[in-house]
Amino acid sequence: MSLDAAAGRGEDVLLAHAEAALRSLGGSGDIVVTSRLGEYTRFAGPRIHQPQAIDELQLMARAVSRGGSARVATSHLDSAAWAGREAGALAKQVTGLSHREIALPGPDGVAAPAQSTWDGDSMRFDAAERGRLAWSAIQRAEQIGASAHGMLSLVVVEMAVANSAGLRRYVRASEVYYSVLVRLGAGSGYRSDVGRSLARLNPEVAIDEALADAVGSQKPQSLPPGSYDVVLGPLAVGDMLGFFGALGFAESAAGQESGIVARRGGTIVADPRISIVDDGTAPIGLPIPFDVEGVSKRRVTMIDRGVVGEAVTDLETAGRLQQASTGHAHIGREQAPAPTPANLILDAAPRSSQALTEGIERGLIISRFHYTRLIDSETSAFTGVTRDACFEIREGRVGTALTQSRFSEEILPVLSRCDAVGDTLVSQPLMNVWNGVASAPALRIRGFRLGFR
Amino acid sequence: MTEVNPEATADWGRAGDEGTVRRWMSDAVDFARAHGATYADARVVEIEEERVYGELKRDPDVRREHTLGIGVRVILGGMWGFGSRALGAADAPIAAAAGAVRMAASSPGGLAAAWAPLPPEIGTYHTEVHQDPFSVGLDRKQRLLDEVLQVARESPLVVSALAGVNAKRQRRYFLSTEGSWQIQTLVECGGVYQVWAAADGEVQRRSYPNSFHGNTGAGGWEFVESLGLLHEAPRVVDEASALLTAPQCPGGTADVIIGPAMTALQIHESCGHALELDRILGDEAGFAGTSFVEATGLGTFRYGSPAVSVVADPTAVGVRGSFGFDDEGQAAKQTTLVDHGVVVDFLSSRESAARIGRRSTVSMRADGWQYMPLCFSTHVALQPGQGSLQELLAKLGDGYYLDMDRSWSIDEQRLNFQFGTEVAYEVKRGVKGKLMKNASYGGVTPQFWGSVEQVAGAEEARVFGLPCGKGEPKQWGFVSHGSAPILVRGVRMGVAG
Repeated sequence: MSLDAAAGRGEDVLLAHAEAALRSLGGSGDIVVTSRLGEYTRFAGPRIHQPQAIDELQLMARAVSRGGSARVATSHLDSAAWAGREAGALAKQVTGLSHREIALPGPDGVAAPAQSTWDGDSMRFDAAERGRLAWSAIQRAEQIGASAHGMLSLVVVEMAVANSAGLRRYVRASEVYYSVLVRLGAGSGYRSDVGRSLARLNPEVAIDEALADAVGSQKPQSLPPGSYDVVLGPLAVGDMLGFFGALGFAESAAGQESGIVARRGGTIVADPRISIVDDGTAPIGLPIPFDVEGVSKRRVTMIDRGVVGEAVTDLETAGRLQQASTGHAHIGREQAPAPTPANLILDAAPRSSQALTEGIERGLIISRFHYTRLIDSETSAFTGVTRDACFEIREGRVGTALTQSRFSEEILPVLSRCDAVGDTLVSQPLMNVWNGVASAPALRIRGFRLGFR
Repeated sequence: MTEVNPEATADWGRAGDEGTVRRWMSDAVDFARAHGATYADARVVEIEEERVYGELKRDPDVRREHTLGIGVRVILGGMWGFGSRALGAADAPIAAAAGAVRMAASSPGGLAAAWAPLPPEIGTYHTEVHQDPFSVGLDRKQRLLDEVLQVARESPLVVSALAGVNAKRQRRYFLSTEGSWQIQTLVECGGVYQVWAAADGEVQRRSYPNSFHGNTGAGGWEFVESLGLLHEAPRVVDEASALLTAPQCPGGTADVIIGPAMTALQIHESCGHALELDRILGDEAGFAGTSFVEATGLGTFRYGSPAVSVVADPTAVGVRGSFGFDDEGQAAKQTTLVDHGVVVDFLSSRESAARIGRRSTVSMRADGWQYMPLCFSTHVALQPGQGSLQELLAKLGDGYYLDMDRSWSIDEQRLNFQFGTEVAYEVKRGVKGKLMKNASYGGVTPQFWGSVEQVAGAEEARVFGLPCGKGEPKQWGFVSHGSAPILVRGVRMGVAG
């Protein structure tokens, strides 16, 4: 990564512009500046086809009033004062009915981050190193008649928040990601992971494993629709976690009238081996100490040993419940702002020598899902297809490769039929969530339904 | 100590005059050329977007976002490179170009970009706008949202409702080392209304004009007014409530008519993406996937029945997927993709087309200045056939009328799909009757499109503008799809509840 990008824009620069916006706001409000200076090395087949150095920058001023919020954003930091002025003027025109004003957090009680978000050593994952690694994957794949595809990236993430209650916060974070897909005939292998530190990830080994899976998944057979005992790989499990906000683990405008926390709080919905949290302070995934409202991230236990726990909130939804925000404010593209889980973790089991395939007479390994969609948030029904390196399990042993299959299942019942949990977490980005990630181990699930429902 | 200029603004037009913008872009491509690039293009993009949302139990949220920056794409030593920077600092154009050069130089080797020089394209384009949506007061927008939300508020079964209007204007400048120079001014508007009703632990949703981000078209505030949000609100609320007690749509195999909103998504997922040449050639295999269509199938591969003809037409007026030039400077043109069921062309870029010995179909697009252009759908529409919906229902006989997506899933080759719909209506002897819930249908793409017996006539056709995600890092493409209702025989039906 270039030296200027690796350093980021800097705390002084981001906070100075946030201050300028705040001064011109003319009332209550907050300013958030987000910056991602990233380098992405995409490769496909015989070449690195999309090496990109990308700048994503936004300063957003929010003026809050009795009746709603107005936000004005710019990518031009020098226009910070303008953004503040505009937001302040716009807020005067907003005419909500509640006459309730969002209570902004002050500077008191802001603790030091539990986890370091910055790993300077990760900066060695620069364009040259990523190019070398991508080229290695390409050539090794070509040597066996296969093709390699994927992306290696390094991003410097920064966020600064300042508000009219005196809060000032800044964070700089490193972000390393890899994905590698190897395609060989009808077979394929895939690995990916993401985190703050290159040292925790091992893309070299991932390439070896993807190559091995591609070689081993030739002549795939199809399985008839039906219920099977399965080992869901960490990426398949993490995919399911991405729906937890929509299932009701994010407080919504519907309040207490729908969603799982509202309707089934305190009840058992999963096996006692299953505990799921959203924890921006954890040393896994993409920890970050505060959200875009400057609120410290709190560990939110969504499922505690199978029992429904609590939902994530932002200042607005927490205020309505007369609670403190859990630090999960989020503004999605083309969406109304809503609290959103952003560092989901399904707890791994302690280290175990037992393979999850043991105890399965006839079943399959599903390494990951593709294009999963929630069908019904109340029943947690979802569908998708299996993708890459699925294998049959016979008498506890991995057997022939399988073709991809559609599945139709329900997330919570699936988690209630879990009887073994893996010991290794793998992280993956959450689609459309800023700094969003889900981390999960493999799970053994009894009676997973393949086929159209 | 960082100094901040309190007078600087980001008002629309901050990019400045044409000469200033062109100088930034020339500096960038000149830098790239001086550092060994054999080709370079630069895009300066200024975007202002306004979104006003109201929710039933939440105060309104208004946001305006302004962004201005430069993206530079180069070929150096046969390798692509891309760099982008927000415009503000004086050195931003050079920093973007330097990033592109550095990234291209990081490629150790490999297949060189297939690139043949083309004559320069010089021109301008602008969306036809009758009423500038940014001149419409916030009070008027809020009043509209308040009124449609009030309809939801009055229903005892409604637990949540969302109403929103959106407007975006863009100025997109393109300059290349081939001498191309273009300026486009694009304006779009849209609206959305969604209602959730609940009873006895069940939740049902109804949406208008479409469930996935509503509907957005190219044009001014007149597009929002044409949606008739307030007029449709009582029906939407009633249907959401009625779905709670509606019978389950049964599974099995049935003949169906699929409405235009659902068909638009069907086109998007199983036709648009499947015919993107970058997917077909493997460029997206590592993320979004590939396609069941092969490049060698051009002119012979039977994608659907003779009733199925699909056209990509970014020159269409008033649709979200329209433009004058794509993001590598090629002039928009109409292209037939599927002709009476046979694949005859792909959505392609200059390079992907060159790799199979063809000319670009002008589908290279980028979400703002930040991202490298990719092959996206433009305005991809199923060509209308003949007959009214009533005539189609009569021809159907017994079956179901399905519309508006509730969920959608398709495999990485765009082959095996399962879509859920918000509503189903039982059809008996050609008469649309009982409302049913939780319908889903699935199939295999060429078999599904091969079972299309008839597409209704142009008078029944509707267009839906929606966003699409693609690429790494993910960027958004803004596309549109048009369709009239379609009659499909022997469709596999399921239960989506």
